[in-house]
Order: sequence, then C-alpha cells, then structure tokens
Amino acid sequence: MSDDSTRDGTMTENKGFEPKIVAYVCNWCTYLGADLAGTTRLEYPPNVRIIRLPCTGRIDFNLIVKGFEIGADAVLVSGCHPGDCHYTAGNYHARRRWILFRELLDTLGFDLRRIHFTWISAAEGKKWQQVITEMTEQTRQLGPYTDLYANGSAQDSANDLPSGPPTPFEFKTLPAEGALRESCRKLLADGTVKVVIGYGQRGPAILTRAEDAGRLVWNNRCVSNLTTYLKRKEIKALGKPAVVVKPCDEKSLVVLEKESQLDRKNIHVIGMACEGVGEPKCTFCTARTPRFADETLGEAAGPASLADPPPNRFAALMAMAPAERMAFWAKQFDRCVKCYACRQVCPMCYCERCIADKNRPIAIDPAPSAKGNFAWQIARAFHLAARCVGCGECSRACPAGIDLALLNIALHKAAQVNFGYDAGVDPAAEPVVGSYALQDKEDFIG
Amino acid sequence: MSKIGVFTCWCGENIARTVDVDEVAKRVAGFPGVVCSLNYKYMCSDPGQAMVREKIASEKLDGIVVASCSPHMHLKTFRKAAQTAGLNPYLVEMANIREQCSWVHHDKPSATAKAIDIIRLSVAKVRNDVPLRPIQVPVTRRALVIGGGVAGIQAALDIADAGHEVVMVEREPSIGGKMAGLSETFPTLDCSQCILTPRMVEVGQHPRIKLYSYSEVEAVDGFVGNFKIKIRQKARYVDVSKCTGCGDCWSVCPLKKNPSEFDYGMGMRPAIYIPFPQAVPARPVIDKKVCAKLIRNGCGLCEKKCKAGAIDFKDEDRVVEESVGCIVVATGYKLYNIAKEQPKASLAGYGEYGYGKYKDVIDSLQFERLISASGPTGGVFKRPSDGAIPKNVVFISCVGSRDNAKGMPYCSKICCMYTAKHTMLYKHKVHDGQAHVFYMDIRAGGKGYDEFVRRAIEQDGARYYRGRVSKITQENGKLIVRGADTLAGTPVEIEADLVVLASAMRPADGVEELAQKLNIGYDEFGFLMESHPKLRPVETNTGGVFIAGACQAPKDIPEAVAQASAAASKVQVMLAADELTREPEIAAINEQTCAACYTCLHTCPYHAIERAEVRTGRGVFIKNTARVNAGLCMGCGTCVSVCPSKSADLQGFSEQQIYAMVESLV
Repeated sequence: MSDDSTRDGTMTENKGFEPKIVAYVCNWCTYLGADLAGTTRLEYPPNVRIIRLPCTGRIDFNLIVKGFEIGADAVLVSGCHPGDCHYTAGNYHARRRWILFRELLDTLGFDLRRIHFTWISAAEGKKWQQVITEMTEQTRQLGPYTDLYANGSAQDSANDLPSGPPTPFEFKTLPAEGALRESCRKLLADGTVKVVIGYGQRGPAILTRAEDAGRLVWNNRCVSNLTTYLKRKEIKALGKPAVVVKPCDEKSLVVLEKESQLDRKNIHVIGMACEGVGEPKCTFCTARTPRFADETLGEAAGPASLADPPPNRFAALMAMAPAERMAFWAKQFDRCVKCYACRQVCPMCYCERCIADKNRPIAIDPAPSAKGNFAWQIARAFHLAARCVGCGECSRACPAGIDLALLNIALHKAAQVNFGYDAGVDPAAEPVVGSYALQDKEDFIG
Repeated sequence: MSKIGVFTCWCGENIARTVDVDEVAKRVAGFPGVVCSLNYKYMCSDPGQAMVREKIASEKLDGIVVASCSPHMHLKTFRKAAQTAGLNPYLVEMANIREQCSWVHHDKPSATAKAIDIIRLSVAKVRNDVPLRPIQVPVTRRALVIGGGVAGIQAALDIADAGHEVVMVEREPSIGGKMAGLSETFPTLDCSQCILTPRMVEVGQHPRIKLYSYSEVEAVDGFVGNFKIKIRQKARYVDVSKCTGCGDCWSVCPLKKNPSEFDYGMGMRPAIYIPFPQAVPARPVIDKKVCAKLIRNGCGLCEKKCKAGAIDFKDEDRVVEESVGCIVVATGYKLYNIAKEQPKASLAGYGEYGYGKYKDVIDSLQFERLISASGPTGGVFKRPSDGAIPKNVVFISCVGSRDNAKGMPYCSKICCMYTAKHTMLYKHKVHDGQAHVFYMDIRAGGKGYDEFVRRAIEQDGARYYRGRVSKITQENGKLIVRGADTLAGTPVEIEADLVVLASAMRPADGVEELAQKLNIGYDEFGFLMESHPKLRPVETNTGGVFIAGACQAPKDIPEAVAQASAAASKVQVMLAADELTREPEIAAINEQTCAACYTCLHTCPYHAIERAEVRTGRGVFIKNTARVNAGLCMGCGTCVSVCPSKSADLQGFSEQQIYAMVESLV
C-alpha cells in the first residue's frame, strides 16, 4: 500500500473529537471475546458500536461502505481465527473478499487506516480491549472522516490522467468480412441458428434472415463485446444465436458459462482472428486466435503493435498519492448521472434485479450524489472482481466519459497477483469468490 | 412492527452503577415504535420475567428488547418467557449493556449514551424481526454404516441394539476389517479373533442389520434424515441365498496358488474362496481374475460339486438402493505401501530397506499373519523366504510416519505399541530368539501401555535402540541391518533373519472419492475431517454424516470402538424422532430474483444450496434458481455476502435488519 502520511489533515491534534467506530463482529468468536473483556472488566473507550452477525462470512463489503455512509470514522471487521470458524470456512471466504476489497479501496484512494480487520477469539478479551483502544486512539489522531461523503464534492483542482494524443486511425475492412457474411448466411439459411449477433455499419447487427447477411461488417472498428446481447431476454426469445466474437470477447463466454448463464451447446460461436482494433487494451493483448469457437474465420497477422502506445492510465493513477486518487475519483464521479449504462453494457451484469434497484433495504443510495455514486461504483466494480474480462465496454459506454474500467483493472490485477486467476482464461479454474485457500494472505489482518 | 417493549435491567448494581438506567428508560421510551420502556433490578429473576410476560399481554407487544447482559447468557431465557406469554420467541432481541458497556466503561454519561445506542440498535433490529418457526425435517429412521471393521461393527451393533435398522456396506467378501487379521492385541494380549468373531456373528445374525458384503457405495443423494444410497453389489458368482458355506467348492478348486489378500500375500487361497474361516457371511466369492471358467470357460468343478446349486457364473454387478437417515463412515486404514509405486512422488518408498526386494523384509500386518495361530503357517513362526525359524528379528518403527520427506509428518500412534507386542509374541513363540527394535521415541500413552512396553523390554528381553536404520543388505542369507544407537553414540550392525517394518497408517483406498460422494471434508493425507476437533469429534460438516475409527486419524482399537459408539449415539439422537427440529435462523433465496449464477452454491460450507427450477403450477419451466436445503443450512450467511443481487437472505439476520441497525447509528 502507498504511504498515507501525505494525506491532508492527518496526524494532527483533533481536540475534543470523539470518533464513531462501527464494529461488525461474528457471533462465536469476537462477540464472545468482547463479552470476555466485560466479564474480566477490561476497560476500553466507549466509542465502538457492535453489530453482531453470525459469521465473518456474512460481513459484506456493502456493510463496510454503509458504515462510513452513516458517519463512522472507522470500521472494524472481526471474526474467528483461521481454523476456528464456527461454520468451518466462513472466515476464509471473508478473508478472500477482503483481500480484493482492500485493493479496490486503495485504487479509490481510500484511507485504509480507517478500516481494520482482526481475528479475535472468544478467549481474547485482552486483545479486544487492545484493538478498540488502539483503534480509537488512532482514529482520534486521524480526525473525523470526511473524504468520501461530507466533502465528497468534486474539487476542480484534482489531477486528471494522461490520455495521450488521439491515435491516428485508418479505417480498413478486414479480409475475413466476406467469409463471415457467407458463414452467417448459411447458418441462418439452414436453420442452424435463429439469430446472428454481429457487427453492423453503426453498431450491433441482430439478423434473423439469411438475406440480411450482407449487412454484417468486419473491420478494425469492431470494438464492442457483443456477448452482452446474449443475456437480453428479447434476443433469447428468438432462439439459438450465433455470436461474433474476438478472442478477447470470448473470455466473457467462458465466465458466463461458469456462472451457468449460458448453455454453450446452444450457442454458435463465430471466432474472428484479430490483430487488434486500435483500443488501448489491444496494446497489451496477446489473444489473437479464438480458442473455443465453433468456427474461426480469418487469420491474424502478428500482434499489431502501435508505434506510439497510449499512456498507461492505470499506472498513472496508482502513481498518485491516495488522497490525490480520492480527489480524482470524486471529480470523476461528480459527473456520474446514474444512467447505469455501465451496467447495461456489461456482459457480466445479468442479475434479474440489480442490487442498486432494491429498495428494502436500500443498500446503495439511489441518488446521483457523491455518496450514491461512490456506493454504486464500488458495488459495480466489486461485483466484477475476478469476473471482469477487461473488454472496457463500461468506459466506452459512460456518457460522462468516466474511465470506469480502471477500477476493474485494479481488481483484475489483485486476482492475478493474489490468486493467480485470470477471468475467462481457464474454464476449469475455481472461481475466486466462492473458493478459498488456507494460504491466502492475511498480512493486513490484525 | 409498532408495539415494542424495552426492558432495561439494572443487574443489581452491575449495570446501574455505570449506566443511568432511569435516563435510559426515559430516552428509549421516545424511540419510534416503543410503547413501553421499563427498568427493573433483576430482569432475569422470576418477578422480572413475570413483568415481561405481563407487559407482552397487557400492552399487546409485538416485539421486545431486553437490555441486560449478553445474548449468549439469557437470550434463551427471554425467548422462553416471550413464548409463554404468547409472543413468537424470534421477536425477542437482547441489548448487551453489561458485558459490552457497563462492565468496560467507568464514565457514567458516556456509558449511558452508549447503552442508549446499543438499545437503539436492538430496537431497529426487532422492528424488522419476523416471527419464525422451528424447521421440521422428516427422518428416515435407518442408518448406513460404511465399512465393516471393528469400528463399523461397533457402530452398527449399537444403533441396531437401540432399535433402528442398519444397512452395512463392506467392500471385502467378509466383515472384520484389519482387526480380524491380527494375532493378539495390546496391552492385554488377548486373541483378536476371539474377541471380534462373536461381534461379527452378531452382525451377521442381527435382525435389524442388513449386510451388503463385497459391495461398495456407488452414489449418495439427499440430505440429513433423507439419504438415498446406491450400493453396488459386486458379482460374487455365488448365490448367497442358496449357498450353505459347506466348503466343497473351495476344496475342489484346482487353482489354489493365489496370494491371499487376507494374509497380505503371506499365504495362498483358491480361486473360489472365503477370506478366512470365520468370515461373515461365510459365503465364498469367485476371483474372476483367476477363475478358469470365467476366463476361458474351462474347469467349472465347483459348479459340479456344489450340491446347493449356488454357483452362478453368469452373475453380474447389481446396484440396489437404500433409504437411510444417517450415515456412519468407518472405512479404516491401510498401511503405507513401502515398495509399490506411489500416487505421489513424495511417497516413493524406502528403497534402502529392501521391502519387496528381500522376501524377509515384511511389514507389520504381514507379521501379524505369520505369527497368528490361524495364519498361513498355522501358528509356527517361519520366515517367508525359506521357512526357517528366525533367531534374530529386527523391528523398525516410524517407517513413513513422522517423515516430512514422505509427506506423512503425522505419528501413526499405534506402531510403538504393536512393535512392543510383536517382540513379545515373537519371544513367546521363539524362546531363544532375540528381538531388536529401532525407534525414534516410544509413545505409549494409554491405560497400561507404558507398563506393557516395559514388560517387552524387561521381561521378554527386547533390545531397543534409539536411532534409525540407514540400510539393509543381504549377505549369505542374512539381512545385514545397519543403524545407529544415538543414546550410546555408536553404530549398530545386526545380522537379522527377518526385518519387520512398522509402516505408517494411511486412510483406506478410495476414501477421497467416497468423501466427495458424501460431501465431507478430508485433510491433505486423506483422513476424514471432523466438524470440530474438540467439541464435535465424530460429526462432519455434512448433517447426518458421522465418522468413526481410523478413517479420521490413526488410532488403536479401544479408541476406534469408543469413537464408533460415540457416532452411534449421535445417530440415535437423530433417529429418536420422526422429525428433526432445527433452528429457523437459516438462509432463504428469493427465487424470483435469483440469477442462478450459483456463486452461493460454490461458497456454502455445508453444501446446503442446490440447483433448482422454478415452474408454473402446470410444470412449465420458468427459470433456474438456487435453493436452500433447510435440512442442511446452518445459518452462517456466507451465501448472502456473495450474492450480487442479494436474492439470498438470512432469516433472523436479514439484510433489512442489518441495514436498519447500521442506519440507526447515524
């Protein structure tokens, strides 16, 4: 994690300030540890409010965010030591999610000194006393928490990320276009599929008649990830689809199949060999030939390396100090109007009822305020943790021009570094959320 | 909910000393929904509880908060009180203002403020409580015991004697397990078969035990109280119902030179055989790998000889289904096979000990057969190579056990004891013989165990060397054992006639596959995992599945039997009634909004979530969904956390309740 000492207003005396601390604790270890502190009369500051939950496995990132929303100055999450979980593995699952969640918070520039994770057993009343005492003292030093919400309004002075000069773009139709049209015509004519989802002149072309196959195009502007249309009810209703995918889009099919969202047997996949479509992501892309397609068209020349690669915006973001990152995001999210285009376009967002639309309880503030926008973007990014295949549709679809994919990149990297997991690459790999390993890191857990 | 009663306890002075209870009651009375707020000296006392009951009735309360001690202390008390007064017990919440407030703070104003906040949290929760009813799960009052060794036998007999039907599945042709092959047992030196055989017969004749020998569990379906078991009965080629066990068939069989599994290759058996004379059931099987009739349609003598007409060469594997409510897994152990190729490279054996190369290097179970009165040598102790009576025998303990390099860092626990026993049995058979033991430590914890080892050394003259053996070679018909005595600090070289390796205990073959069928955990060595190492030693994390014996960890006979009885008593508790009652604070899934991504299914530690379909009343498919099996869910709520749309929720700790609690802290 980055050095936080540069953050404004930290480590100064805040006389008379009494922090509010919300503690989410498990019922079987930490709650009993806190009881033991009482039974043995171990005094600690009265700033903590304990919320008892059955297991750390139940403690959700939404709750941590909510804690700060209601004005907590610090949040504690605590449960049983590894191996002691009353439910055998709830704490392991929780630990894995926290690893990812901390990475997301760090990318947002969140002050990680305000969020504490500990294991406190039923026998560790003393440790509970220490943790609360130290946490209260530290939070007193840090002062009231204002970063996200109270001062959440955008500061114009906030830095922006380099975007580089516009890439010179030369439109060219690619040679496989003819083969693609022919193949789709055949598929529709002989009834193999009922609908073809491909690229058209101005966006997606959804074809149901063989004679329309001529409307399909294949050129270096075929940027979008068409797999997102597979989840649409109206397209499902048409019957078996064929979908045109680039090698990178194909990864979303792997994830969707793992999550039981599609029956691969009932989809005809037309894979296009690809040498890049001029997007920043193409600079780093190594996938040139589809691996799981039913048919592959075209031939990819070696990777099309750009003479002048675009600046690495993620690296530039992480090079900022955390407080600068927070200011950056506050400025970005200030433009968010909660149109949810990022959600609609994402191939991985397929819930029948999005949590953002749920009103009992309201987990995510629906208002396009600083509070609501942060809550939404945190939820969106975290739901994509170790699932996002990096198509970048969210960034492209955002009418406010917020580079949302940066958050996904952070979580993608976290999954790679911590769990060696690349979403959509290995169909047999165990999903990151939903499994755990005994050796998952816990250097951040006290 | 709008009619909440809050009862603040003074707990004598325990709370009242640092929390201004009058102020608390006054402030709390103003909370939304609170219609009555009282305080009393001892809320848990009879008059205190009477007050709660009276107010529930007179004020028609639809939820109460008792602000006193920890819910772990008195939640049950007040739930009961509420129930007596006609209020659903799950509409009771506790506000812990003693352990987590008055006992840990000294400043009265801030402790009082905190107490008010804690009650505010609880009021927010109780306002969102919903009445819950305990869950009833129907129970099939039968049990399955997998494995017919001493642990399985004990468990089956205990359960059957308690009046429940038992289905026992044993994959060998006879029950009895490893114990049936032992000669005598430590520390009493009583004959193993003499104590086991009557128990085996009891199993075979018990009216409530249905024995499937030479059978394996093929598939397990269902959940606690309602398991459906598919059992594969392997083709025996003998009709058990006709066979009388007279023995004509195996005496007439001309193919008599097949290594006996029961004797670990130390003796021979015919192609049609019973593993040992006391086998239960005493019905033979035909080894289809060697039988001339089955291989090339030759011979067929046994069929001709069998008066009962029980031989059936057309026999095939059959799969039968049994319904049970509980399962006891007692699959036992095997010995680390020192010589054979190992599944993992790290297990590759001790080549330097020459097992498999020198006929007179054997393992301890082979030794048991050689020294047994019913063994292949008829009780005369002869060595395998030339039948000579060995005058110098070397025993090596910890072969594989406690050896990190072999991937078995654990202690096999019984080897110290049986090695001492072996030296004694040997001395009792060969009076002028000398036993030598190489050991790392002597672990003889147990009743009469250390005394037993002392006897082996002091009375029967076994020579113990603390040290390892580095190499065994063969010269002039003798095995040259080179080792060290680290206590004396000298190298030791012994010309031995026989070497016995006390190799490590490992879980029986196929236990991992079985564990996967049963959805129970196993450790890195393949030993099955108990639910809690101290408090739930025979339970597993799958409801209704219990473990007993050496499948859980290396253990000796008394321990295996004790554990089997423990498992049997757990089974009896479950089978005591037609229905199981379970706490209702479990997860539920909103099937309308579930997107069927099944992340919860992968996450659930109890495998309590299953794939299901939503259909119309007429059976038209609408959508896929996840569904919670109320019989298995333990209520941890991990599924709720991973559910992106929060279609999963936990009753008693619902999203609505938790958010109401957090938001009350604004």
